[in-house]
Amino acid sequence: MVAVSRREATAGDGDEADPIDADSLDASDRERDARPPTLAVVGSLVAGAVAALAALLAAPIGGALVGLAALGLLAGSLRRSHRLLSWAAGIGAVGIAVAGYRGGAVEPLLAAGVALALAWDLADHGVSLGEQVGREARTRRNVAVHAGTNLLAGGLSIAVVYGAYLAAAGSQPVAALALLLFGAVALASAVR
Amino acid sequence: MTAETERGDATREPANRGAEPTTERTPLRRSETGRWDGIAGVALALVGVGVVARQPGLVLTGAVGVGYVVYARVGEAREATVELERTVSDDAPEPGDEVVVAVRARNVGDAPLPDLRLVDGVPPGLEVVDGPARIATALRPGATAAFEYTVRATRGEHEWGPARAITRDPAGSRERTTGLATPTRIACTPELSAGGDLPLRGLTTVYHGRVPTDVGGAGVEFHATREYRRGDPIKRIDWNRRARTGELATLDLREERAATVVLLIDARESAYAATEPDADTAVEASVEAAGQAFTALLDGGDRVGIAALGPRDCWLRPGAGTAHAARGRETLATDPALAPTPSEGRFYGSLWLRRFRRRLPADAQVLFFTPLLDDFAASLARRIDARGHLVTVLSPDVTAGDDRDDPAGDTPGTRLVAFERRERLRDLRGAGIRAVEWGDRSFPVAVARATGRWSR
Repeated sequence: MVAVSRREATAGDGDEADPIDADSLDASDRERDARPPTLAVVGSLVAGAVAALAALLAAPIGGALVGLAALGLLAGSLRRSHRLLSWAAGIGAVGIAVAGYRGGAVEPLLAAGVALALAWDLADHGVSLGEQVGREARTRRNVAVHAGTNLLAGGLSIAVVYGAYLAAAGSQPVAALALLLFGAVALASAVR
Repeated sequence: MTAETERGDATREPANRGAEPTTERTPLRRSETGRWDGIAGVALALVGVGVVARQPGLVLTGAVGVGYVVYARVGEAREATVELERTVSDDAPEPGDEVVVAVRARNVGDAPLPDLRLVDGVPPGLEVVDGPARIATALRPGATAAFEYTVRATRGEHEWGPARAITRDPAGSRERTTGLATPTRIACTPELSAGGDLPLRGLTTVYHGRVPTDVGGAGVEFHATREYRRGDPIKRIDWNRRARTGELATLDLREERAATVVLLIDARESAYAATEPDADTAVEASVEAAGQAFTALLDGGDRVGIAALGPRDCWLRPGAGTAHAARGRETLATDPALAPTPSEGRFYGSLWLRRFRRRLPADAQVLFFTPLLDDFAASLARRIDARGHLVTVLSPDVTAGDDRDDPAGDTPGTRLVAFERRERLRDLRGAGIRAVEWGDRSFPVAVARATGRWSR
């Protein structure tokens, strides 16, 4: 087979001014395994299972939908498709909405939400890691730190929201909760 | 293989270590990844459904979603304040040697880098054979991450380009790319092995050497007899004839003279072709063969020069001697015109030919190393030959796959290219130009086989 050797793809035909071309990220070495790191996939799967279990406790149909979402996340990881991951996360959100609509308890719903967010985040992060550094590179620390900050963010949110719910709005109507939330959103936008 | 020592943050080092090669940082790109896009909509939709359905659980879940909105918005992808240190196990390896490259990245800024991906700028001519030259990690200020990979050395000088550092904020919603330049260089100069006896054509200089000519004189091989002239050496008088006929006659022997040879190597982009994407290119094969020819010819007492047919200029005047041999080795190994990857720039054939003719000594013959993948190479050989510089074409065959039974390697395109190349070779031979081709067989073997066919 006659093939012009394309080893120069990294720097050979790049721009002189910008030696590092963004597009060459994928083309730089063809033997690289671009699948997401195992830890990210497994972490995403575990978090997805937790989310499905929590949603199942809230309402069975919601649990089924969230379980479907977890499978979708796995498929998205394996097929390295951000779009598939987004769709799966969307299905998961619908599942949580259904579970909540059918009168699921507060605590399982919160747990399902945070676990679903973590599952999607890990899967998506894994796919981007796979694109940029590949499966064989050392990525454990990176994935662990990412999962940790995500959990921290989720945990803080739950602490604030659930704390406010218990302390202030335990007996208030739902509208009051929503108004409280509106205030929080306004505050967040102001911070930004 | 990446080093399994998860050194990471464990080894905290003093922030400044004095004399250390500084890494030059170039900000390259910053962008939004948009991965959290739509989270606000989902959160508010959950709240909305919760309000309508009067379900506090949904409202609270939506509120947690708003927490993620904030998470995605705060934080900034910082510039990769990273000091790179790259050490190679051997900066002057032999071709084919495996060189272990160890990279240490230290966060010299005062902020942590929660998401750092490093892609090392491996030279395009080197192939990473073990472990990706990449890492993804997180670095606290002053912390170090180390990784190792192995490259296989190829002929030439290789300089590492800037490594690419991609940083993201904790949520991963913003991304920034930084180039980290740390100069590292290895030079790989192969030993030239002599390639046996290389037959030259009969264009020679006036100096004594080893190429038999059609000129009578002193030598070892019989050429002709002529009548005796005063002053002819007594040794060369044909005493048998004198005894038989009583006349004095002188034996003329073939004179053996030295030749001036220019090794011309096709290094145009089209010559960077290989049987497989990973295999050695024709340029690589040509350079190796040229190295063998160079040594063999110099040893035989000929004057040898080197030239490259390509966009970059490369010319080593024909010469002899130890210093010249060293220069030739250097040129073949590290000249940028013969680099393992194609040179940049456009190639202008007629300009090149004019310059080449001006430089070529009048009595020089040319050994032209080319894969013969286009008509230009063939016509060039004929044009140089027509100028009186006898040309021998030596053609590495990159059109024949290594294994003939591989169906993927036997496409109609491959067959066409192979056919065209064969036709060119036939035309050249028809025009009286010697041609040798070699594929899997080694170059000396191919030459030895071909020599049997050639008349002087």
